[in-house]
Amino acid sequence: MDIGPYALQLFSGLSRAMVLFLLSAGLSLIFGVMNILNFAHATLFLLSGYVTFSIFTFLSQQFGASPWMLLPAIVGAVALMSLVGFALERFLIRHTYERELPEQLLLTFALVLILGDVIKLVWGLENRRINLGVQPIEMLDTLVNPYQFVIIGTGVAVAAGLWYFLHRTRFGKIVRAAVYSRSMVSALGIRIPMIYAMVFALGVGLAALASGVFLPLLPMALGIDLDIIVQSFAVVVIGGFGSMLGTFVASIIVGVVYSFSILFWPDGALAMIFLILIAVLIWRPWGLFGTEMRS
Amino acid sequence: MSAPSPHHPGWLARLRAGDGLGWPVAILMSVLFLLVPLLPGEYWTQVGTEILILGLFAMSFNLLYGYMGQISFGHAAFFGVGAYATAMLFTALKTPAGAIGVPEFLLSLLVGPPVAALAALFIGFFCVRLTGIYFAMLTLAFGEMLFYIVFSWYSFTKGDDGIQGLLPPDFFQDSANFYYFTLAIVALALFVMWRITESPFGSALRTLRDNQRRAAFLGTNVKMHMLANFVIAGAFAGLAGALWGPFSRSVNPGLLGWGESGIAVFMTLIGGAGAFIGPIVGSVIYTMLQAVVKMYTVYWPLTIGSVILLIVLFAPGGILGIIERRMRAARAGNQANGGDPAAGPSAAEAQP
Repeated sequence: MDIGPYALQLFSGLSRAMVLFLLSAGLSLIFGVMNILNFAHATLFLLSGYVTFSIFTFLSQQFGASPWMLLPAIVGAVALMSLVGFALERFLIRHTYERELPEQLLLTFALVLILGDVIKLVWGLENRRINLGVQPIEMLDTLVNPYQFVIIGTGVAVAAGLWYFLHRTRFGKIVRAAVYSRSMVSALGIRIPMIYAMVFALGVGLAALASGVFLPLLPMALGIDLDIIVQSFAVVVIGGFGSMLGTFVASIIVGVVYSFSILFWPDGALAMIFLILIAVLIWRPWGLFGTEMRS
Repeated sequence: MSAPSPHHPGWLARLRAGDGLGWPVAILMSVLFLLVPLLPGEYWTQVGTEILILGLFAMSFNLLYGYMGQISFGHAAFFGVGAYATAMLFTALKTPAGAIGVPEFLLSLLVGPPVAALAALFIGFFCVRLTGIYFAMLTLAFGEMLFYIVFSWYSFTKGDDGIQGLLPPDFFQDSANFYYFTLAIVALALFVMWRITESPFGSALRTLRDNQRRAAFLGTNVKMHMLANFVIAGAFAGLAGALWGPFSRSVNPGLLGWGESGIAVFMTLIGGAGAFIGPIVGSVIYTMLQAVVKMYTVYWPLTIGSVILLIVLFAPGGILGIIERRMRAARAGNQANGGDPAAGPSAAEAQP
């Protein structure tokens, strides 16, 4: 049997999975802590991709073109987008905590529409991508883009870092406590509004990291946020709202299943993801790693 | 925003309850709708037709949201299934030259609602077991799956090309005639919908919307009621979809996507989910705004996004919600004779 095509799909599926994880981890955290389902998450991801591109281009013009310029560009975009996330929470999102689900969804959906047009106004209709000029390497009977290993490594590193942050640091423990009981955390004298703003900033920062890392493989184009957000929802629901481990496992399931479905049913690969989502929602609505309590 | 309690005074409350002032408002709206084709040019007649079809779609969505308390992000699946069922039969019945007779045309329209209802029966069977965000996610998942099936099953649905050439019979090609035809169907559909929401079945739905456990204690079969309502909502969405094909002369997979579902959600929340006619009011505002804004700019999403943002922040309950709060505040002010204005709304609610 020729394993070449399968190895190729496996690596592209895993790198896709890691990007989905970076994106969905923030979505899941925001939902877990604030009970807000952020429709605009993938749009912020897209916006950040354009920002990263612009910083990268600027740096390349100033200091000469080099693939390494992507690194400071990503750092800059993550910092900038975290600030944007912080501001969004302080000025808009926090007004909806006492509202019901549809209004919260509507507010973040309004952001999808507004930010989408802002991108169009600033960057125009042209797609943006970065070509790092990485040569494919030969392995397992096929040619693999080694940059995919950078993405996979980043994803695993961030997953480990998030685990450490949530379980071993004081702030992380407060965040986890807030997932279970906001009123209790607040009663212990911790300023919950600050926690909210910082969690939102962290989530948006992770989305920014995801788009920066993915930029050399995926061109940023208007409208891709609408496809990505529903896949990210699928990941969060399959894994279980608020569960990081669940989000990680579900990202791998969704990324790899998508990648292999493309071999057999190119146009319908996304239908497979929704089939899994439907099965999970019928069988375990709270997700693979979620707890029933929160439903 | 939930759909407020049914027991408070004011003409809007009575309109919700379906007595008294409901008829004058309905008649006023009907008269305004009847006059639309008198406007010069075909453009506004076509906008009017769009208002009616999408308004019916939004009304069907509000059966789930306003009356059952569940938000669906996949309601366009039934709009799209209805549209495709009609479009396929239409294509099968028309002559090779592209013409279709009036009976065949009407028959193709009739097939939309039952096929959509069938799809809703299957999908609803699973969805009514969940509530809240899980209901929203499962409807979204089914909707997106149907979207990708229609999108990729080229031999059956023509994939992303869609189905073109749905030219109705000569009589209906005239904008004004098609408009009045649509108006008649939509008016009839709204009348049936209104009867349903005011029936004991409708009351049971509102009870389980407010408290499922209490409804179950009172002997209501909660899941059965929700499923029946899901199928009814699907059938009306299918009717709207059936009208959409001959109106726009084509159908495409986008009609099933979650963007289309979003339109129903927008219209309902702009108009106000708490009032029976809220979604239609929302459709008038949304569609007219779109028709005007698109004349001047391509930045329609930015415009509607800002409008929604303002509504969520400053006008929860939609346009009808604002009017209602104003009137309630005024009444409370009169009755309390200059009492604490902050206590106004609750004071009004306390009235028998």
